[in-house]
Amino acid sequence: MSYIAMTTGFILILIGFYGALTNRNILRMIIAFTVANTGVNLVLVAVGYMRGRTAPILDAAVPVTEAAARIIDPIPQALVLTAIVIGVGVTALMLAFVYKLYATRGSLDISNYTELKW
Amino acid sequence: MIKRLVVLLLLAGIGAIFMSLLLGYTPDNELNLTARYYAEHTAQDIGAANIVTAIIVTYRGLDTLGEVTVLFLTAAIVGLVLAQGRQQNSQRSQRKLPESGELLQTGSLLLTPLILLLGVYVFVNGHLTPGGGFQGGAILASAILLMLLTDPMRHFSHRLISVLESISGLIFITIGVLGIIYAGGFLDNRILPTGSLGQLFSAGVIPIIYSFIGLKVGAEFSSMLVNLSETEGS
Amino acid sequence: MVNAIFIIATGLGTAFLLGLLKDEWRTAAYGITLAALALMSWIAASWVAALAWGGAATVDIFTAGTEPPFAINLRMGLPEAVLTLLVNLASLLAAVYLRDTMFKQGRRAMAVLLIFAMALCGIILTRDLFNLFVFFELTVISTGGLILLSRDKRALGAGFKYLIASQVISILLLVGIIFSYHATGTLNIDGMASMSAQLLQGGSLAFFLMFIAIVAELKPFPANGWALDIYESAHPAFSAMLSAAAGSAALFAVDKLLLIGGTQWLPVATAIGIVSFIGANLFALAQNVDRRTLGYSSIAQIGLVLTVLGQRDILGDSYLYIAGGILLAHAISKAGLYWLSGLVEGRELTAWTALRGRPLLIFAFVTFLALLIGLPPFPGFYAKWDLIHTLAAQDRIMLLTLILFGALIEAGYLFRWFGYVIKREQTTERVACTPHKVAVVYGAVIAGWTAAYLWGNLSPHGNLLHTLPLLFALGFLLLEWLPVWIKNTIAIIGLVAWFILGFPDYDPLQLIFAAVILIGGALILLSSYHVQGRRIGFYPSAMLMYAGLAMLITADDSFSFFAAWESLTVGSYFLILRGKHSEPHALSYIIFSLGGAFLILAGFALASQGVMDFQLQALGQVTEPLSAWVFMLLAIGFMTKTAAIGVHIWLPGAHAEAETDVSPMVSGILLKAGLFGLFMLLMNMGKQQLYGIELTHVMLWIGALSALLGNLMAIFQEDAKRLLAYSSIGQMGYALFGLAMMNHLGWLMALMFVINHYIYKSMLFLSVGGIAKRTGTREMYRMGGLITLMPLSFIAVLIGIIAVSGVPPLSGFGGRWIFYNAIMTADHRLPMIIIFLAGPIAFLYLFRLIHTIFLGQLKDEHRRLKEAPFWLILPQMIYVACLLIFAVVPGMALRHVDSYLNQFFPNHGLNWEGLTITSSFGYWSPISIMLVIGTIFATVLAWLLFVNRKAQKVKQFNMVFAAERPYRPETTHYAWNFFAPYRKALGFLTQPLVTRFWEALTDLLHSLAELLRRFYCGNGQTYAIHLLGFVVVVYLLKVGL
Repeated sequence: MSYIAMTTGFILILIGFYGALTNRNILRMIIAFTVANTGVNLVLVAVGYMRGRTAPILDAAVPVTEAAARIIDPIPQALVLTAIVIGVGVTALMLAFVYKLYATRGSLDISNYTELKW
Repeated sequence: MIKRLVVLLLLAGIGAIFMSLLLGYTPDNELNLTARYYAEHTAQDIGAANIVTAIIVTYRGLDTLGEVTVLFLTAAIVGLVLAQGRQQNSQRSQRKLPESGELLQTGSLLLTPLILLLGVYVFVNGHLTPGGGFQGGAILASAILLMLLTDPMRHFSHRLISVLESISGLIFITIGVLGIIYAGGFLDNRILPTGSLGQLFSAGVIPIIYSFIGLKVGAEFSSMLVNLSETEGS
Repeated sequence: MVNAIFIIATGLGTAFLLGLLKDEWRTAAYGITLAALALMSWIAASWVAALAWGGAATVDIFTAGTEPPFAINLRMGLPEAVLTLLVNLASLLAAVYLRDTMFKQGRRAMAVLLIFAMALCGIILTRDLFNLFVFFELTVISTGGLILLSRDKRALGAGFKYLIASQVISILLLVGIIFSYHATGTLNIDGMASMSAQLLQGGSLAFFLMFIAIVAELKPFPANGWALDIYESAHPAFSAMLSAAAGSAALFAVDKLLLIGGTQWLPVATAIGIVSFIGANLFALAQNVDRRTLGYSSIAQIGLVLTVLGQRDILGDSYLYIAGGILLAHAISKAGLYWLSGLVEGRELTAWTALRGRPLLIFAFVTFLALLIGLPPFPGFYAKWDLIHTLAAQDRIMLLTLILFGALIEAGYLFRWFGYVIKREQTTERVACTPHKVAVVYGAVIAGWTAAYLWGNLSPHGNLLHTLPLLFALGFLLLEWLPVWIKNTIAIIGLVAWFILGFPDYDPLQLIFAAVILIGGALILLSSYHVQGRRIGFYPSAMLMYAGLAMLITADDSFSFFAAWESLTVGSYFLILRGKHSEPHALSYIIFSLGGAFLILAGFALASQGVMDFQLQALGQVTEPLSAWVFMLLAIGFMTKTAAIGVHIWLPGAHAEAETDVSPMVSGILLKAGLFGLFMLLMNMGKQQLYGIELTHVMLWIGALSALLGNLMAIFQEDAKRLLAYSSIGQMGYALFGLAMMNHLGWLMALMFVINHYIYKSMLFLSVGGIAKRTGTREMYRMGGLITLMPLSFIAVLIGIIAVSGVPPLSGFGGRWIFYNAIMTADHRLPMIIIFLAGPIAFLYLFRLIHTIFLGQLKDEHRRLKEAPFWLILPQMIYVACLLIFAVVPGMALRHVDSYLNQFFPNHGLNWEGLTITSSFGYWSPISIMLVIGTIFATVLAWLLFVNRKAQKVKQFNMVFAAERPYRPETTHYAWNFFAPYRKALGFLTQPLVTRFWEALTDLLHSLAELLRRFYCGNGQTYAIHLLGFVVVVYLLKVGL
C-alpha cells in the first residue's frame, strides 16, 4: 500500500517536472508544479503509513495505553499539512506574478521574458 | 525537440534517484522514537485527543506559526501586486457582468451560513477530531468564494479582513509568548489547564489557538479571493 | 538576556500589528517597522556581547515546554548571534535606505520586509530540519514580494524565474527531509547528526537531496541564472539583503547540514564551492553592468565560504574565525556596494565615475573593494592567510592554487572597476545624494572598519590596526582637508622621525634599506611641495606605501612581512593610478603584484607547515625537497616586484605614466622592496636545487637577461620617462645578478645598486619630469637644445648618466668596480658575457637621453621655457651632492655592510684602508680617481675652449618647411628613431614576446568568459533545467567518487 502511494507520488513529481520544463505557457507550468507538489504530499503521507494501524486520534477505539501499538506515525501528517499550505502560498504568489506579467507584457510565454541574461 | 530530449534525460536521472529511494525504503513496523513519544505522552502532557493537532499546534507550533505567516505573506504580496495593478486601472470603466442564476443565488443564501457554521465547528474541534484551523479556515473562505460567485461585484471590506487576520496573528504570538512566562516555553499550551481528554474544553490553549488560526486562515484566503476577484473586469 | 525567540516573535508580531494600522498611517507604520528591526538587532547584539565578551554559554531554547527532539528547539551560540545581528542590522539599514519606496508601497511592503528578516533569523536559529524548510519557504515568498519593490520592469520576470527555481528546490528538499526522517526517526538536526551513520547507510540519497537543495539555495555556479537576474534587477537595497543576509543564512544552513553529513560530504561542498568561486569570478570578467557584476561576485564569495565549510575537518578551532572573516567581509562589502549602486544613476561600470566628485564616497568604495578582495587590515586578509596556511600544511595544494587563482581574477575585475571610476571620463550624471541613503552607505563603511579591528584583535598575529606606520598612513585620511604644504611637511617629519626612532635597532642591511626608504622617501617628498591645492588621495596612498616598506624591513615573522608587502603594493597602486593615462598600467601593475604576492603567500604557507607564528629565519630550516619549491615561489614573487624579465611588462607603463614625483617613488624606492625580499630569501635559504638544477643559477640567468633586454628595450624608446623605466628593468637585472652570484662581492654590489639606483633614478625621473612639465611632452624628439634654458636639470641629468653608466669618477664606477671584482670570483662565465654586453647598451640610451633633450636645436615653441620648478630642482641638487660625496667616500655606508656580509660570506671581502679599497684583484682609490678625471676633464675643456675661441655661432633655421610638409614631421627629426641601425641589428631581441604572451592569456580568459556566459540564456525554464542538471551531475559525480 505505501509502495503504491509512494510510487504514484514519485511519478506525479516526475510528470509535474516534465510539464513544468516543457510547457512554455506560464500557467501550464504553474499547474504542472501543483501536480508535482501533490506528488510530494503523497510521498510524505506514504512514509508515515503503517500497515494495519489507524489514525492518530485517541478515542474509545484507541485508548491511550494502546496508542503506541495502534496508530500510524503522526508526524508526516503534521508535516504534510504545512507542506500543503506552503504549496498553496507559493502557487498563489506565482499566479499573482503571472497576472502582473501579463498585464505589463501581454504574453504568457516564458521564453518572452529573457531580457535579463548573460 | 532537443530540449524535450534533455528534459527526459534529466528526468531519467531524477527518476533513478527516486527509484533507489523507493527500493531502499522499508516501512516501519514499530513507531520510531519520536512518534512513540507522541503516542505515549500527548494525552498526558498536552491533553489533545488528536495527536496530529497536538503536534501541529504545540510540539511543532513554530512550524505552524511559519505556516500561518506564509499565508499572511502571500495575502499581503498578492494584495501588493494587485493593488499596484488596480491603481493603474482605476479609471477604466468596469465591464458589466451578467447576473448569476437564481439557483446559485438562492443556494448561496441557504448554504453560506451552514458552511460558515461547519467551518467554525471544524476548527473549534480541531483537537478532538480530524480537522482544525487550516481546514476550518479553508471552509470559511469557501463561503466567501460562494458569495463571490453569486455576485462578483460584491464588495468586501478589506479593512475588516485585514484587522481580523492581524488580530488573530497577534493573539497567536501573544499566547506563544505567554507560554514562556507561565509555562515551559514559547507556544506551550499548558497556560490553561489541560482538562480531561476528549472534552471540548481541554488541551490547554490549543482550541483557542486553533480557532484563531481558523479565523486567520479564513481571512487570508478570503483576502486573496477578494483581491483576485477585484481584478475581474479590469 | 532576552530570550532569542523574541527576535522571531518581534518580527512576526510587528508584521501582524501593521495590519491593524490604517493604510494611510504610513509614517507610523514605518516608525514601528524601524523600531522592531532595531529591537531585533539589539537582542542579537546583546547576545553577541554576552557570548563573545560576557562569558555566556551557548543556549538551547525549547519551545512547547518539551525537550528536543520532540519539539522544535532553537540555539543561540556565538555564530548564531553574529549572523542574526548581521541579518537584522542589514535589514534595519535596508529599511532606512528604502524609506521612500516603503512610503509609496505602504504597510504591506514593510510587513514583508520584517518577515524576510525574521525568516532569515529563523533559518539561523532553528535546529529542526522541517522548521528550516518552513523558514526557507518564508524567505522565498518574501523574496518574491520584495522583488516587486524595484522600479525596474524586468524585476517581475526575474522574480518569476526565481519562484520556478524555488519550486524545484522545495520539492527536492521535502522528499529529502521525509526520507531522512524515515531513516533516523527524528527531524532534529543534532539528533540526526548523532545518528548520521544510520542515515548515511540507508538514506545517503535522502541526505543528498536535502543537501543539494540547501546548496542550491546558495545559488551555486552554474545553476544560478535566476539569482543573477534578481541581483541585477531588484532594488539595490534588496539585492544587498539577498547577498549579505540571505546568503549568510543559507551558508549557515549548509553548515548545519554538514553536521549531519559528516566528513564524507565535505569534499562535495568543497568542490561545489570552488567551482562557484572560480566560475563566477571568471564570468564576472566579461560583465559591464554593475549590479550583475556584483551578483557574480556574490556567488563567487559564497562559493569561497562554502569551500571553507568543506575544510571543516582540518581547520579546527580557527574554522569560525576563517569562515566568519570571509563571510563578514563579503556581507558588509556587498551590501555596501549595492547600496552605493543605488546612488549612481547609470548601470554601466563606468557610470560610477559619478562618485568622483565625492571623496567620502570614493573612500567608501575603496573600503568595500578592499574588504572584498581581502586586503589588509580587513578580516578577509587574516582569514585568507590562515586558510592558505592550513591548506598548505594539510597538503591540499590543488585547492590552495585554485583559491588563489580565483582570488586573482576577482581582484582583477574589481581593480579594473576602480580604475574606471578614478580615470574614465566623467558622465554628466550626478550622484543622487539623499542623506539617508548616504548615511546607510557610511554605516557599512563603519561596520567594515569595526570588523577589521575586531578580526585584528582576534588574530594570533597581532592587530594590524595597532601598528604605528599604518595608523600614520590612515591618519592622513582625516587630514585630507588641509593644503598640500602642511600635509607634505607632516609626511616628511613622519618619515624622518620613524627613521630616527628605528635607527638604533637596524642592522647594517636594514639600515641601508631604511635610509633609502625613509630618508630617501622624505627627499623625494620635497618635490611634492610644487603641487598646489589639496591633492586628495595622494598622501594616504603614499604613506600607505611607505608604511608598508618601513614595516617590511623590520618584519620578523612571515605574517607581518606579508601584511607589509600587501600594504605597500596597494598603496603604490593607488599612487600609480593617479597618473593621467595610467589606468591600464596601474591595473597590470596591481595584477602582477597581487599574483606575485599570492606566490609569496603560498611560499610562506608551504614553508610554515602549519606553524602559525613562523619566523623568517626559520626559512632556513625548511627541509628538502619542500625547500626548493618554497624558494622558487618566494623568488618568483619577489622578482615580480623587481620586474625581472618575463614578469616585467607592468613596469614601463606604470613608472612612465605616474605623476612627476610619483615616478621616482615607485622606481627609486618601491623596486627595492623586491630586492629586500630577495636578500631576505637568500640570506635564510641559500642555494637550493630543484631536480638537480641550481636555482640561484637560474636567477643568475634571469638577472643577466633582464639587464641585457631591459637596456636594449630602453634604447628604442621615444618617451624619456619610458626610457628610464626600461632602464630600471636592466638595473634591477644587475642587482639580481649580483645577488644570485651568492658571494661576498656580488652582494656588496647589489647593495651598492640599492643606493645608487635610488639616487640616480630618482634624480633622473625628477629632472625628466620637470622638463616634461615645462615642455608639455615626454617625446624626446620634440625637445632639444634645452641646455641653456634648463641648466640645472642638465647638470642633474649629466651627473645622473655618468653615475648610471659606471664611468669614473662617480659612484657608478665604484659599483662597476665591485661588480667586475665579483664576476671574477664567480664560476659562471656565460651569463657574465651577457651582462658585460649590457653595459655599453646602457651607455647608448643614456647618450640619447642627454643628447636629444639638451643638445641639438631648440624648438620654436620652447624659446620661453623656464627652469623646472624650484621644488623639483632642490632634491636633484641634493642628489648631485650625494653622488659626489658617495663617489669620494663610498666607505661611509659600504664598509659596515661589507663587514656585516662577512657572517654570510667570510671570504673575498674588501679591504678598507683609509680612502683606498683593496680587493684580491686590485685597488680602488676614489679620491685619486676623482682628481685624475677632474684634471683630464678640465684640461680637455680648456683646450676645446681655446681652439674654438673664434668659432661663429650659427643661428638655427627650420628646414622642415623648406619643401612640402611631411606626413609625419617627426620622421625628419634626427632624434626620432635614434638608434635605427641598432634596431635593425638587435631589434629581434626586443620583440614583445612576453607582452604578447600575457596579453594572449588575458584575452583567452576574457573571450572564454564572453563565450561561456551565453549559457545564461535568460529563460526561466532553461534555468530550472540547469538546476535539475546540476543535481543530477553532482549526484553522478558523488556516486562515481
